[in-house]
Amino acid sequence: MNEMKKTAITLNVNNETYDIVAYPNRTLLEVIRDDLHLTGTKESCGQGVCGSCTVLVDGTPVRSCLTLAVAVQGKEITTIEGISLGEKLHPVQEAFVNHHAIQCGFCSPGMILTSYALLKENPRPTEAAIRRAISGNICRCTGYAKIVEAVKSLAEEEK
Amino acid sequence: MRLPPFQYLEPATVEEALSIIGTHKETVKIMAGGTDLLNRMKLRLIEPAFVMNISKLRNMDGIDIGDTETVIGANTRLKEIAGAPLVNKRFRAIAEAAFQVASPTITNMATIGGNILQNTRCMYYDQSGIVLNGLERCHKRGGILCLAVKGSKRCFSVYQGDMAPALRAFDARCVLEKKGSTRTVSITELFTGNGVTPFAIGADELLTKIIIPKPEGICGSAYRKLRLRGSVDYPLASAAAFVSVTDDRKVTTCRVVIGAAGAAPKVIDGASCEADLEGIAQKAYEHAEGVDNLLMPGAYRRKMVSVLAKRAIKAAIDGIKEGM
Repeated sequence: MNEMKKTAITLNVNNETYDIVAYPNRTLLEVIRDDLHLTGTKESCGQGVCGSCTVLVDGTPVRSCLTLAVAVQGKEITTIEGISLGEKLHPVQEAFVNHHAIQCGFCSPGMILTSYALLKENPRPTEAAIRRAISGNICRCTGYAKIVEAVKSLAEEEK
Repeated sequence: MRLPPFQYLEPATVEEALSIIGTHKETVKIMAGGTDLLNRMKLRLIEPAFVMNISKLRNMDGIDIGDTETVIGANTRLKEIAGAPLVNKRFRAIAEAAFQVASPTITNMATIGGNILQNTRCMYYDQSGIVLNGLERCHKRGGILCLAVKGSKRCFSVYQGDMAPALRAFDARCVLEKKGSTRTVSITELFTGNGVTPFAIGADELLTKIIIPKPEGICGSAYRKLRLRGSVDYPLASAAAFVSVTDDRKVTTCRVVIGAAGAAPKVIDGASCEADLEGIAQKAYEHAEGVDNLLMPGAYRRKMVSVLAKRAIKAAIDGIKEGM
């Protein structure tokens, strides 16, 4: 078994600074859930396929299951808990609720963050662009039609 | 799945990185985007003593399109390559390959260097310990047999990178640096053709950049791939095509590079293009290895290599027509 030493890790998550001491083999996903207790971010495949662990690093959606926590120090990390304004849902979250784009909810944090990042980059995405953006987020129950409708409604509202 | 233990290293400069790999050699694994490496570590296919993160080495990043050649830093994210207007215009196959790697979120993380240097894959190898414990030790795991081709004395694992075939179509070269020296090799020279150890790179060498020479004449290119799910999967067969013509539309070069058809991308060269599309397709089929060790049957994958070769050539020619 290889040697490993714990190291001090400082993370900026949802505009708050967290200082933890952890082994370097901890993924960002593990730290967010187990150390910071922000359990909105989900683990599913653990291989970067399903997208349920998606978080934003400097505004870009990444797989937190394939990201080392120690490697994203100094970056701005946003989880699903970070986009709402207290009790008030973010418009993307509201759109998902209003369009019944949530069933079991397991893919929702990843879907919403991916859509949030898409709309920041391109406020009026076409349906093809929406489908492309969320193509790395797998939903096993709602289906994609409602999710695409929810994101589309925001694109249209911006007009 | 949890990661095995390792010591984490984060060099601040390329020189420091070269010094680290010069010292630790095989015991250190280089991490750029991490999307391939961490998966292999989670499966315990590799358990390096050290992981060296090079993703913050900024002078290994970016696309520099020059008059005679284009230089892409090994750390450049695939999303940047797929979205770069000039790469799309001049090196369409390379942009198309980058666009089709996994899913958008993966291409936000994954780099061109990491994509080129991904290991070969096989359904009898890329598995967790639970599965592998029930299997005999194959060539790639240090054994003496192949589980995909019974009785085979060699490994049939498949190289499933998307970028290398497209880069090879443009005769790209890779810059490998180590402490005190630098060498440049062609994409072909980068590969051994051996599934067990697919790359001809020293453990003390770092891929720092990829150089693409400016193609001569009027040209077009394209990359086509087969995968199970259009949004996430590795290629199960692929083809990159590069076609160049003279002003009076005479074909000067027609090069097809097939991927996911062996332990390295293979070049199908020298055909006279449109007139002999079937001939190229047949050649691609003959050069392709189709073994039942990935998600689709080997025989089907092999046929699809020839289909994709034709589609890629047609798309490359259409690209030239559009530009004329």
